[in-house]
Amino acid sequence: MTFGSVDDVEQALRAESYLADRGLATAIFLALRMRRPLLLEGEAGVGKTEVGKTLAQLLAARLIRLQCYEGIDAAQALYEWDYSRQLLYARTLQEGEVAAERVAALYGPEFLVERPLLAAIRTGVGAVLLIDEVDRADDEFEAFLLEVLSDFTVTVPEIGTIAAEEPPAVVITSNRTRELHDALKRRCLYHWIDFPDLEREVEIIRLRAPGVSEALARSVAAAVARLRSLDLVKRPGAAEAIDWAEALSLLGAESAEGEAARETLGWAVKNREDTARAEAELLGE
Amino acid sequence: MSEEILTRFGHALRDAGLAVGTGRIADFCRAAALLSPDDLYWAGRATLVARAADIPVYDEAFAAFFGPPVEVPRQPPTVRIRVEVDAQTALASPVELLKEKSFAACSQAELAALAELMQRLRLAVPERRSRRRAAARSGAPDLRRTLRRSFRTGGEPVDRAWRERRREQRRLVLLLDVSGSMDAYSRALVMFAHGALRSGRRVEAFCFGTRLTRVTRALAAADVDEALRCAAAEVVDWDGGTRIGEALKAFLDEHGHGGLARGALVLICSDGLEVGDPELLAEQMARLSRLAHRVVWLNPLQEDPAYEPLARGMKAALPYVDLFASGHSLASLEELGAALAHL
Repeated sequence: MTFGSVDDVEQALRAESYLADRGLATAIFLALRMRRPLLLEGEAGVGKTEVGKTLAQLLAARLIRLQCYEGIDAAQALYEWDYSRQLLYARTLQEGEVAAERVAALYGPEFLVERPLLAAIRTGVGAVLLIDEVDRADDEFEAFLLEVLSDFTVTVPEIGTIAAEEPPAVVITSNRTRELHDALKRRCLYHWIDFPDLEREVEIIRLRAPGVSEALARSVAAAVARLRSLDLVKRPGAAEAIDWAEALSLLGAESAEGEAARETLGWAVKNREDTARAEAELLGE
Repeated sequence: MSEEILTRFGHALRDAGLAVGTGRIADFCRAAALLSPDDLYWAGRATLVARAADIPVYDEAFAAFFGPPVEVPRQPPTVRIRVEVDAQTALASPVELLKEKSFAACSQAELAALAELMQRLRLAVPERRSRRRAAARSGAPDLRRTLRRSFRTGGEPVDRAWRERRREQRRLVLLLDVSGSMDAYSRALVMFAHGALRSGRRVEAFCFGTRLTRVTRALAAADVDEALRCAAAEVVDWDGGTRIGEALKAFLDEHGHGGLARGALVLICSDGLEVGDPELLAEQMARLSRLAHRVVWLNPLQEDPAYEPLARGMKAALPYVDLFASGHSLASLEELGAALAHL
């Protein structure tokens, strides 16, 4: 599926219940047309990961997710051999003559365990590769990632080179716990996802939590906007706003005020010091 | 829009201090060609900007270039730090004496000699278990190597291999007070940070006075003078007042809470003469101590044996400090380097 214009992208995203602002829609459009990875940054809960998931639905592609963490290495990201199966196979070979081709079979494709990056390369254009929280991985891993992202080929010494005929769409998210290398950034288009404005937030809540009334969505969006203006350790994102609205709606509340708001505040604010501040602001204590 | 104009805008951004390479400008031109002129702003945002901090600079440059020119007064950073290397006089000072000498009493030349010595200073940062595994004599079975070895014995895994979680250095985060009251020490401490950065990969450095500046990149240069010059250009509040609480808060909000401080060894170098609210400092120290593995506070005032941490700021911070040391001379820093491993 290709998009003719930024508006097309905006509409298609909306059809998948994702409301993107003009900047994000433009970045996605460009990333797809220019076949470049899209690097998304922004505070937690603004919907970075969701972009990858929505894009996969939109393109009717397979979502392949690589969650990064400290110490992740090629064996967990690219491929690994299925050693236990290889051992079993080797034991069955031990009886009688060992033919050369049977040994070669030991490192055949059937013993190769595919990890996300290899899976994405093999699937090619039919995949959306979501590399989540790349800032959690080590520097070396980033360099390795850069290598894979620049030509979408992988060499497995025992099998040969595997290349993507057409590269998959790539979405990379980062929480900015450390500055990424310039080389990686140079490969990517960049977009900073901001908190949505009031109107868009109301729309997002209504779209994502259809059971929530317009009035409640508006009240929650306004309350969340007030919370964001406070000096909180963790400012609530759109994800928190949706959860909170849903919780309030389940309790039959009509607005994010009073006792119901206090009881459900934990959906929006998840830090003890913040809770005290939020209560003071919203409930006037 | 012609590529020439777009390229000129790229150059304007470069002049404004953004790292805009030719590749990025080419991307910008391609992006602009794909979009309507109304979206030119976003074409540039996606291709020419690579980090959130650059967005205001981009906005300003964009408005100046394509929109009505906007007057934004920019204050040139006042740079006070200067390092003059005079190797001849420096060498005249015996190394051992120099090591014991307080940074406050050191001359320019002596500081330059210290810079040399600091390059060799090693910090034994505590370790933690990493997720990566390495070959070991015992531990969990290492199937990969066991398989390889089994070929020698006809497919029978006789000689088994093991692997174990690797141990890795914890991240070291340096927070250096460069305010006026620390004037006598701050240069030496920045040199110390440079040495620490050169010695390990997982080190981050910040300077603070009234505001916080990340100097990890600036201090990355191999040459100490060059690194100090870069840092001096980035830090704009040398010799100002000290707002430790606010600086800590900025550190935690922007970097620490996101993961930089998590499980790290955090080293704060400050005299604790807080002009801000001590309560805020205590609150932020509590936050920091919950995130960090250990918090070490170096206070050069401790050089005086009669010193007692009575300053409001220091008193507020102390309950959250795991190790309170001096760090006024190279010898004391060396002592610290050895003590860290046991934290």
